[in-house]
Amino acid sequence: MSGPGRLAPHGPSAGYSAVSRWFAALALAALLAADLHVSSLQPWAELRRLLAGFVRADFPSVEAWSIVHTVAFAVLGVGIGAGAGFGLAIPFAHSRAVRGLCAALRSVHELFWALLLMQVFGLSATTGILALALPYAGICAKVYSEIIEEADLAALRVLPPGTGAVSAFAYARLPDVADKLRHYTLYRLECGLRATLVLGFIGLPTMGFHLESAFRQGRYGEAGALLLVFYVLIGTRRLWLRPLTLPFLAVASLLALPATVGSTAIGASLARFLEHDIVPAPLRGAALSDPDTWAQFGAWLRPILTDQVGPGILQTLMLAQVALVATALGSLVLFPLVSRRFAGRIGQPLGRVLLVTVRSTPEYMLAYVALLLLGPSMLPAILALSIHNAGIVGYLMGRHADDLPYRPDAPRGLNLYAYETVPRLYGQFLAYLLYRWEIILRESAILGMLGVATLGFHIDAAISELRLDVAVILIAATAAMTMAVDALSRALRRTLRIADLPTRLSRPLAPRTGA
Amino acid sequence: MAAPALTLSNASAAYGGRTVLAGIDLTIRAGERVALLGRSGAGKSTLLGLLHAQAPERIALVPQSAALVRTLSVFHNVYMGRLDRRSTLHNLRTLVRPASADWREVGGVLARVGLAEAIRTRAGALSGGQQQRVSVARALYNRGPILIADEPVSALDRVQGAGILAEMARTHETLVLALHDVALALAATDRIVVLDAGRIVLDAPARDLDAARLSPYYAGTA
Amino acid sequence: MIGVTTRPSRTGLLAAVLALAQTVLGVAAGRAEDRPPFVFTGIPDQDESRLVERFGRVATYLEAKLGVPVRYIPVKNYPAAVTAFTNGQVQLAWFGGFTGVQARKAVPGAHAIAQGAEDASFKTYLIANARSGLTPSKDFPQAVAGKTFTFGARASTSGRLMPEHFIRQAFPGKTPEQVFSRVGFSGDHSRTIQLVVSGAFEVGAVDYTVWDLDTKAGKLDPSVVKVIWESPPYPDYQWTVRGDVEATYGAGFTERLRAALVGIEDPAILEPFGRSKFVPVTDAAYDPLIAVAKSTGLLD
Repeated sequence: MSGPGRLAPHGPSAGYSAVSRWFAALALAALLAADLHVSSLQPWAELRRLLAGFVRADFPSVEAWSIVHTVAFAVLGVGIGAGAGFGLAIPFAHSRAVRGLCAALRSVHELFWALLLMQVFGLSATTGILALALPYAGICAKVYSEIIEEADLAALRVLPPGTGAVSAFAYARLPDVADKLRHYTLYRLECGLRATLVLGFIGLPTMGFHLESAFRQGRYGEAGALLLVFYVLIGTRRLWLRPLTLPFLAVASLLALPATVGSTAIGASLARFLEHDIVPAPLRGAALSDPDTWAQFGAWLRPILTDQVGPGILQTLMLAQVALVATALGSLVLFPLVSRRFAGRIGQPLGRVLLVTVRSTPEYMLAYVALLLLGPSMLPAILALSIHNAGIVGYLMGRHADDLPYRPDAPRGLNLYAYETVPRLYGQFLAYLLYRWEIILRESAILGMLGVATLGFHIDAAISELRLDVAVILIAATAAMTMAVDALSRALRRTLRIADLPTRLSRPLAPRTGA
Repeated sequence: MAAPALTLSNASAAYGGRTVLAGIDLTIRAGERVALLGRSGAGKSTLLGLLHAQAPERIALVPQSAALVRTLSVFHNVYMGRLDRRSTLHNLRTLVRPASADWREVGGVLARVGLAEAIRTRAGALSGGQQQRVSVARALYNRGPILIADEPVSALDRVQGAGILAEMARTHETLVLALHDVALALAATDRIVVLDAGRIVLDAPARDLDAARLSPYYAGTA
Repeated sequence: MIGVTTRPSRTGLLAAVLALAQTVLGVAAGRAEDRPPFVFTGIPDQDESRLVERFGRVATYLEAKLGVPVRYIPVKNYPAAVTAFTNGQVQLAWFGGFTGVQARKAVPGAHAIAQGAEDASFKTYLIANARSGLTPSKDFPQAVAGKTFTFGARASTSGRLMPEHFIRQAFPGKTPEQVFSRVGFSGDHSRTIQLVVSGAFEVGAVDYTVWDLDTKAGKLDPSVVKVIWESPPYPDYQWTVRGDVEATYGAGFTERLRAALVGIEDPAILEPFGRSKFVPVTDAAYDPLIAVAKSTGLLD
């Protein structure tokens, strides 16, 4: 830890600080260009009313069926997604096509999937379940495949030759990874619960449906009650969501799904959607061999690229950049709260409750509330994204901080923080942040639906104008941008030699040393 | 003289351009008890690997690391030694609910390595020495006529180690054991092969050798 | 590869689950009634509690008049209402002028059948927070330039399409984004009023019936927010029905539906609409909106 050593041009810590400086500088530039205007004149009065709503939560107003539907959508959506993901995980490492498919599935947000599916399946359980299952299949395939690849293969090698593939998988691979798979899938279910809230914001009958109404009309007592019930649902996850209860939950969820009011003509809707709605307007029924058609297509596409895709991507990247750095700062402040070393035996559980609550609140809903309080600008979106993500990263960092082997004569308090904990965790810290970059970006795009001029803003406009062809181009641009940033993030992690550090939230704590 | 069970002629091996074994001529005959000695890094594990590749279907293997599935029970880890001889359906069923015949048989094998009472324990919860004995039990259960073991008793004391080697000899016709305990090797085997820097430098019946004769090949190791 | 053999069983399981889901859904949907229920929706142009009250009464009334089960399905935004209409989930919808145009364009055979008596000459109010210093005027208030401004929903006629049209007329060659210092979309008229009352936006464009309902209910303080301009009249809301209802519910169903709607006299139903009665209407009444929507670029 010598001074000059830290400045050596090729050491990893030099890489750490260079990356940190670049990200901070870009965020600062974005912050200067961003619209941070607070247009509400009485944000504090509104916030007081909101907090009062939590204190005097109106539990009788909570629609019990919405809780059932929330769980049913999450269990079935994630269940089907995880099942399909498991099937895709096996060829994942060997098939470029499968990897591409999974990347495409997961780069489109649940909300966008829902908006597209709604065109065909209407406001129905099918829409809700598929909107979760499609992206989750892509995410699960990738992570399951990583988990299977990480597995200890020593036992596989000593199996008697001629052992059947299924027996080999069941004995020598699955037991080793089953715990991680289970852990990750249950964590995904928690994400699924959060996602169903967001689906409620666009009309599916989950708790989110009632939350949106309650917030919009200022019925904060009801909103508070709904949120508290939701926190309890997530907080007690380990009690009701177990491998043993899963079959019962799945069957009960199937039976409890909301009946669709009315029915869509799925075949006709699908045909219209694929053959008309999403076909670029100038190409509909046009002669594709006629160069004139393509000239018109170009004339149609150009303003979409220059007025919507370009500015939308720029705003999305700006928002994500500021939110990422704000997340970084926030998690550096928050992680001592959940570390026993810093918060003590009493403080740590309290800090943990705080951060788990924060991370259980969907960022879309945080942004929605911040928007009601502060008015439409980038500020509510930055706040929502950085609060939610700092909760997550802070929580994980706190766990790592307690795993560090400190020497017996280590300093205390801020000295420990600055000289031991943060320097030793910094690689891990960057690994988490670079991993979350893509996730924050996806969310940044979505928050446009609430009025910030990111890609979602233009998608919302296109859908309002019933221009699904434009919406699909914008969604594809969002997906491409997400994949590009994901690739950049992985490249950076490799360069910094932190690609092998854990990035998943769900990983069980490192096995105790000893046995 | 018995028929050759495994034969290597002028075999060599290299890792990443570095030669680990060269010019190896070695014939193991059925019924032989062979100890492979040499400093760490001499190429013992690599040689065992080459031998194993000769006839994997007839060989019961004890790898150097115990290579257990830590999340499965000791029973299942031992049962894995015979996965190839059972139907997939039976194997999957055994994962959930073992048949009592299998349970008794595995229990019997575990008794031979002194672990009968640990049959239900998760493998990850065992000590290093216990894990090593589970690994041996898996090979015993496999019943391949040739048993190849890479330091199978390194984590055990000499008395325990001798007991385990005797159990191996009881049920397996041919043994090839990498060992580091010279006294144990001389007592438990009838042929000693010494490797040094990737070559066989000594190959003689155990009765013609003693510890002093072998000490040069261990100079520098404890 | 190891484990590849497990894949077909997994996808088989998935297919089974999907099939089971479809069956259960089908049973759940089919169990309730023998005849397919007649489903309708409305654009969520104001507070949901008011919408539920309003459309709940309409559902009860129509069920009695038409002799088929009638269901109302709530949606969260304007395009969701249009989508439910285009994919056939609903057969009838209470659309705004522009959403009606969108829906009829997407669903051949769909027609406007009735509108409120007030909808033939509908109006937009420009409302302003008192602190903006804006005062009421007969002509379009040029002083709004440079203020912050909120529309209602993006696809709203009275909250977006027509006010944007009048703004473009008052400031030739400029878009609203160029006229105002900030432009927002509140999502619905109740929210527009809230935002202008709170001062989040200085000026807003609002449906005059929603404003009048709120005024009558004593919700508005004239010293905080007031109307500064009344737009010229234009056609707005209407009931639009799909053409395929004749095949499902029998020939002449459209006319029976129109008669039922026009025959509503109960003030308890009409009042939440802010309408005195419903009158027959044809698609042609909304042709002027098509021209306006094309000129503002909202329609191809």
